[in-house]
Amino acid sequence: MMNGNPSPRRRGAGSPTARRLIGVALAAALSLTGCAGQGQKKDEGSSTSGGKVTISFWNGFTGPDRPAVEGLVKKFNASQNKVTVTMEISPWDVFFQKLLPSIGAGKGPDLMGMDAAQLPQYASRGVLRPMDEYYSDAANESDKLVKPAVDATAWQGKHYGVPMNFTTLLLYWNKGMFKDAGLDPDTPPKTWAEFQTAAKKLTKDTNGDGKPEQYGLALADHETIAMWPILFWGNGGGVVSDDGKKAMLGDPKTIEAMQQWGDLVRNQHISPVGLGGADADKLFQTKKAAMEIVGPWMTTGFKDAGIDFGLAAPPAGPAGPVTLGTSVAFAVNAKTTDAKAKAAQEFIKFWNTKDSQKEWALGSGFPPNRTDLAAGDLTENPYVVAFGEPAGTAKFYLANVKDFTKVNDTLYTPALQKVLNGKGTAQDLFPQASAQIQQLLDSQQ
Amino acid sequence: MTILATSTAPAETVERPAAEERPSRRRQTVLLVALTLAISAVMLLPLVWMLLTSVKPEADIVTFPPRLFPRHVTLQNYIDVWHRIPFARLYLNTIVFAGTVTILSLILDSMSAYALARLHFRGRGVVLALVLVMLMLPFQVTLIPLYDLLNSLGWTDTLHGLIVPRATNAFGIFFLRQFFLSLPQDLEEAARMDGAGEFRIYRQIMLPLAVPALLTLGLFHFMYNWNDLLWPLIINQDQAHQTLPSGLALFMGQHVVEYGVLMAASVMSLVPVVLFFLLIQRRFVEGVATTGIK
Amino acid sequence: MSTGIPVARPRYRGGVAKRRQARAAWLFLAPSLVILGVFIVYPMTQALYLSFTDYDVLNPATWTGLANYRELLGDEAFRNALVNTLYYAAVATPVSVALALGCALLLNRRFPLRGLGRTAVFLPVVVGLAIVAIAWGFLLDPDIGLLSYWLGKIGLTANSGWVRDPTLAMPAVIIVGVWKNIGFYMVIYLAGLQSIPRDLYEAAEVDGASPWQRFRNVTWPLLANQTMLVTILCAIATLQAFDQIFVMTHGGPFFRTETLVMLIYRQGFSEFRFGYAAAISWALVLLILVLSIFQFAYFRKRAVRY
Repeated sequence: MMNGNPSPRRRGAGSPTARRLIGVALAAALSLTGCAGQGQKKDEGSSTSGGKVTISFWNGFTGPDRPAVEGLVKKFNASQNKVTVTMEISPWDVFFQKLLPSIGAGKGPDLMGMDAAQLPQYASRGVLRPMDEYYSDAANESDKLVKPAVDATAWQGKHYGVPMNFTTLLLYWNKGMFKDAGLDPDTPPKTWAEFQTAAKKLTKDTNGDGKPEQYGLALADHETIAMWPILFWGNGGGVVSDDGKKAMLGDPKTIEAMQQWGDLVRNQHISPVGLGGADADKLFQTKKAAMEIVGPWMTTGFKDAGIDFGLAAPPAGPAGPVTLGTSVAFAVNAKTTDAKAKAAQEFIKFWNTKDSQKEWALGSGFPPNRTDLAAGDLTENPYVVAFGEPAGTAKFYLANVKDFTKVNDTLYTPALQKVLNGKGTAQDLFPQASAQIQQLLDSQQ
Repeated sequence: MTILATSTAPAETVERPAAEERPSRRRQTVLLVALTLAISAVMLLPLVWMLLTSVKPEADIVTFPPRLFPRHVTLQNYIDVWHRIPFARLYLNTIVFAGTVTILSLILDSMSAYALARLHFRGRGVVLALVLVMLMLPFQVTLIPLYDLLNSLGWTDTLHGLIVPRATNAFGIFFLRQFFLSLPQDLEEAARMDGAGEFRIYRQIMLPLAVPALLTLGLFHFMYNWNDLLWPLIINQDQAHQTLPSGLALFMGQHVVEYGVLMAASVMSLVPVVLFFLLIQRRFVEGVATTGIK
Repeated sequence: MSTGIPVARPRYRGGVAKRRQARAAWLFLAPSLVILGVFIVYPMTQALYLSFTDYDVLNPATWTGLANYRELLGDEAFRNALVNTLYYAAVATPVSVALALGCALLLNRRFPLRGLGRTAVFLPVVVGLAIVAIAWGFLLDPDIGLLSYWLGKIGLTANSGWVRDPTLAMPAVIIVGVWKNIGFYMVIYLAGLQSIPRDLYEAAEVDGASPWQRFRNVTWPLLANQTMLVTILCAIATLQAFDQIFVMTHGGPFFRTETLVMLIYRQGFSEFRFGYAAAISWALVLLILVLSIFQFAYFRKRAVRY
């Protein structure tokens, strides 16, 4: 082209540039439309062809829980040929990010597993199918399921889920550290007085630099399973009443508990401030904290770290023994077909049979969803029984609250953190936050 | 000839006393090396931690006192990765995704960038402004409308649905446009005067000159899409189509993160991108060095 | 050439050549414009429309006019996020540009281990952010972190620290963000440095210029194009800071690190208020647009053209 041959060029589509580019564009366009045609008829899952139903199941059980979930799904699929479950697991935040647009576009999963606390948010927006027909069918043996977990799936008179897992939180205590501090390693604290004394004794600042080398308690205040609310409940307070109608954050009993424990944390340093759930676990795991109130997922990690720990119900406050109950529930998409809903119920029924629950408990470390499994069935994992025991005193955090995320993330947790960081007193900040929570609760009636 | 040249050299030429020069030059080199080592240490420390953690048994990772170097080295994590997730398939899917997007992007971005940088046409300013505005909108907000659109086209869970929306992007166009602007114009002008078509100029003059920028942009595109978690996860329904980041995410449980396996999987998934960088870093530096002097 | 007499060739000005260029330009742009138009501009206009509604993704949108925009003007959360975003960008951008330039200047010279240096600075760019955040968390955890432990041995302890401390959380997030991305900008600067003709430096040396003078009079002006590119890209990126904040602090403690994009995420995905989130997004676009216009105007005067 640099040969300087000035042959007159024709203008118009005949020019090489134009032709070449049009060619590229056409080729691209053709390939696109060609591909697009294939996608058109894609089905979310084949419908009943010869009675076989495929349902899609989404949940967030990543990490060490995944093998147990996958095991049961595989077993179900292999055990019969009427229903096939195809499962998709992603981290919880991605799960919710994907759930929203999918459902909005009408392509959501048939079956989902989500925290029972999230059910009202979706149920109130018409996303979930009521499960009362499941509960009324005696063949499903729903009366054997742990009652608090079942109650946690209720919203405005209907049940929108069936328990997929359930656990309470227990007090872990490090026996070796107890002994070193002069406490009886085999006797955990049972009352708040004992609890607070032990926590103080177990907090050691040996080099006097103001920062303890060892903490009595690992108490997480954000991004965690609810630990502080157990302390509020112990004093007769709470964040929201059990029926989800009244905000209790500004109650005198709540504020009293906050002041008591807040003082211990801020001034006596029994626990660091600003811990997330994972941080708290790491503290106990590295023997930097002697006690932690948390769920069964840490038993393996703590054991592998060589910690000789004991498990007991969290020490009872003035209002009596109480602990947190938490559960992930199966929920069915309101827009799914009846055939698929029935198929999903078959899977749920399988999941909650005695055999499956035994396998689930031993495989995942969560206690079984059923109350009729004897301790003798679960001897391979002794912790599993322990975590199921306090079910009677278990309360669910923010039950019956429609806007769980807003109340917890936007209103309650910042208030708690501000108090712990000295940006205000519980007297000032809690009633404020409580009023805002009440506003939100009123709007959902 | 040479003798003439040296004899007419200006007397003001700075004379370098050879003997005194060398120690200070060496001192300078030592200083530079020391500085580089310090900077490298800061930049690499988390990555070194990652590598060393990948060869520790899980129970040795969360410990106090914290230890950087492992007490026992084990490759079990690396082996476990292959058993726990379909690593090979994820790798393949990611190569296809990131590779195709990169190649398509380089072609389309460079064509658009050339037009915006070198061709005069009415509306050029508007297109440029539009491209820039696209850079400014966070994707969190276009995600849902885009998903709806793809869904109505039937493009979810398809390879083209995954790739085509990414086949060109505002950043690449802007980046290359700036680069093209800085190239000397004389070669093109000469070619135009000789009657060469724009596409030919683009292909035979601009692209070769742009190789360093193309390699750099290629690396950026490849790396961005290689590490992208959300987009492939949202578009794909079938687990068989998933990419590496989603596999890695499976090691992060809600309460328990499996650090050893996670780090091992990360190290293994880093390899192609690092190789890409090492390959181009030499090439692109050499390549660019010749462009300015013309 | 048909004649032996050299004729001054007229430059290609005038109608025909311009039309030809214009057509070629549109053809070049066509594939990109189609894809961008369908997959970015269209969702963008959707997002604009949705910002005038109360869309919650699960139910059809109802028009609410300017309600969302009026709300965000009075929303304390918006103001907080705006301040945080500006703080983040105002610190992260100059620091990133300066560090990237410094590394490029250093690593442009010839000396052993230069390749190691370049790779070390660039490597953080390629690692996924979630992993990097975990690594930094392990290093800087106030209680069991490696660096905290080493610093403690030389007497520097902090009771709280890193992302737990409300005052230090934002600097922590900025540090990780800057650390991760300077390699990217350094590469751009390295390319620019390589294209500065060496004879300019030699001429400056002949004139007896000191290293600082050489930088100020030769290097810095000739890097103007790169500086503009880096500054604009960095500003846009830092004003949209989200990933490291999501992973490290989730906007906390009590919203101290919540940037505008973090707020958009919270409103859209956690509270189902997608229409409001869209309105905030467009406010952010406006902010970035205004700042970018200023930057373009500033740099236009200093552009390097060959």
